[in-house]
Amino acid sequence: MIDAATIVLVTIGLAFFIAGTIGLLRFPDVYTRLHALTKADNLGLGLIVIGLAPQADSIAAVFKLLLIWFLVLVAGAAACHLVAQRAWHRGKS
Amino acid sequence: MNDIPGLVFDFLLAVILLRVAWRLLSSSDLFRAVVLFIAFGLLLAIAWVRLDAPDVALAEAAIGAGVTGALLLIALARMAEIRHSATELAERLAVLRRGRFRITIRPVLLILVTILGVMLLSTLLVMQPGEGLQPAVAERLGESGVDHPVTAVLLNFRAWDTLLELSVLLLAVLGVWSLRRHAPLPVRAVPGPVMPGMVRLLLPVAVVIGFYLLWLGAHAPGGAFQAGAIFGAAGVLWILSRPRDLPIPPAAVVRLGVSAGVLLFFAIGVAGLLGGFGYLGYPPPWSGMLILVIEVTATLSIGLTLVALFLGGAPRGEPSGDHNGRLS
Repeated sequence: MIDAATIVLVTIGLAFFIAGTIGLLRFPDVYTRLHALTKADNLGLGLIVIGLAPQADSIAAVFKLLLIWFLVLVAGAAACHLVAQRAWHRGKS
Repeated sequence: MNDIPGLVFDFLLAVILLRVAWRLLSSSDLFRAVVLFIAFGLLLAIAWVRLDAPDVALAEAAIGAGVTGALLLIALARMAEIRHSATELAERLAVLRRGRFRITIRPVLLILVTILGVMLLSTLLVMQPGEGLQPAVAERLGESGVDHPVTAVLLNFRAWDTLLELSVLLLAVLGVWSLRRHAPLPVRAVPGPVMPGMVRLLLPVAVVIGFYLLWLGAHAPGGAFQAGAIFGAAGVLWILSRPRDLPIPPAAVVRLGVSAGVLLFFAIGVAGLLGGFGYLGYPPPWSGMLILVIEVTATLSIGLTLVALFLGGAPRGEPSGDHNGRLS
């Protein structure tokens, strides 16, 4: 039962990652690619973390997984903003 | 042969590793090569996990992919300044590659790779899997002062190797400082609240995680190098958020900080020699405490070393040279 939930959630997370990768490869410019990438980061990783949480050995491991997700959220959002700002200042429309 | 998904994953990982390595070596855009190098570091970290070496995976992800990636990017930025364009350097490299060497090197490389591959395969098929050193280490783990076999080997049984590794890092910093350049960072301060806010959030978290990894090294994957890499990365992040007004401590403090790890390690080794336990031998009731002290100093030294490597310039107060290296 728990394994089934893990498999389902991780698979949906993987679908988000695939969508993000396709977006990275196929979108025309920096801003749309950033949009695709951050969706993969936030939602894809979030679903994988939630899917893996029941498999953890202890509550501490669950909190570590959530901390990893939170750190990736912060780093991803800040990096996305900085890349977009740099591209904007360089004059890319 | 009963772990088919694992085997498929390992095979895919190996193929991807080779492909990424080839792409980054043959790329004519240096920036793309550096980014592929960072990706290669992360894939290599996954490979280490598959080989049951989480300590090495942590170190590879932090140092190989993280800090080395930052070093390569800042080197690229500085080269762009010096030569006005990194693509000009790449064009020169491409011309060299397309020169007369290209025709004759390929068959030779192919033959060499085939011979090497045949030798490796035949050795793999003939060799019996041995039991390695795990039983020997497990037998003496109790008297090493820590619970984790990797840390016991690194800081007690083979402490000499770790001392030499720390010395190599120190030599790298000395090499960089001996160039005596004071070029400021080719980075502009980023306007807006996002960068300072992120740094305000991430720096304390990085410090806590660094100390946590350092403490964890006694009984789980972790240790001085990994924690030092996190401190180095945090230092680099802090520097990048304020590249113009860096609060650099005086030169004496920086020199002491960078060499403290090696000096303390060496002093403890000599003390062990004088105390009758042999060079780098610890008195058994004090092993755990000595290992902790060595690891803390090594972590701070490694973090400071990585930041010094990133900054590149000699410590403030040193005479600087012009581009020909002469002292001014």
